[in-house]
Amino acid sequence: FCPGCRALQPPEPRPDFFRLMGCDRLFRIDAQQLQRRFRSLQRAVHPDRFGRRPPKEQYYSEQHSSLINKAYQTLLNPLSRGLYLLELNGVEPAKETDCDADSVFLMEIMEINEKLAEPKNEDILEEIETLIKGRFILKMKIQPSLCKLVMFYFISDDLQEAKALLAKMKYFANLEDKLKNKKIPS
Amino acid sequence: QAVAVGDAVPWQVVDHYENPRNVGSLDRNAKNVGTGLVGAPACGDVMKLQVEVDENGRIIDARFKTFGCGSAIASSSLATEWVKGKTVDEALQIKNTDIAKELCLPPVKLHCSMLAEDAIKAALADYKLKQDPTNNELEKKA
Repeated sequence: FCPGCRALQPPEPRPDFFRLMGCDRLFRIDAQQLQRRFRSLQRAVHPDRFGRRPPKEQYYSEQHSSLINKAYQTLLNPLSRGLYLLELNGVEPAKETDCDADSVFLMEIMEINEKLAEPKNEDILEEIETLIKGRFILKMKIQPSLCKLVMFYFISDDLQEAKALLAKMKYFANLEDKLKNKKIPS
Repeated sequence: QAVAVGDAVPWQVVDHYENPRNVGSLDRNAKNVGTGLVGAPACGDVMKLQVEVDENGRIIDARFKTFGCGSAIASSSLATEWVKGKTVDEALQIKNTDIAKELCLPPVKLHCSMLAEDAIKAALADYKLKQDPTNNELEKKA
């Protein structure tokens, strides 16, 4: 907002989501603090509050609001947060095909996908979910969850490892989405 | 399962999605079967492509299983169609650009055709390795 006339200003051109949401540029965030910040920001700029303002301000309010939505969603989800952090650190997102990288891992993903696709497995979705989580933790061979491992890589500034692990997370995220869709009756 | 909304999906992609050719598996333990397993980290798609090669080095059967978007499924489906009847060396010539052109893939889905090309190469590399495990060049790659 302009300090002088209190009119809403356009959002800055290249916003840093972490700064916007009042978080340190780390993988670890305080989800509740993030949510509070999201709500208070939206209270200030949401288009519903600008119904009577000049069109330009209404437009800015829409821009602010969707930017805040985007920042919130990006930081809330660990996978998107990790990928965004990589981007901020100048690490290129993975584009090439995984050919040699960890064929055992890909095979496991393939097997789980196949299990999910079998119609008779509708009843054992819970089991499959446990299988996914269990297999993955076993693969990592340590107790902490996947997110903790990503956090570790970011803290030790091992961005290539973080990138590789986030790529794996992506496969699991897809599986989790499929599981969710199966659980919802169509 | 919804096909991507937004821009019109090319009918070629829809066709492969609704009538996929060669879905399934071959016996990965058979000596004349090559298995390629590839993943796309950006979108989390996984693709398995298998070829069965006869004693003359000609591909007589191919199967695929792909978990991902419609374009990825179509690309691998088309790939299995194309490799059948080709020799191993001929199949290695298949380019992702040909696949993309055949399916009229939009730019944003070009990586799917690349994934299919990589899957073909991986399957053929696996087959070659099985024929000649003492081949040093392939061992370095694997």
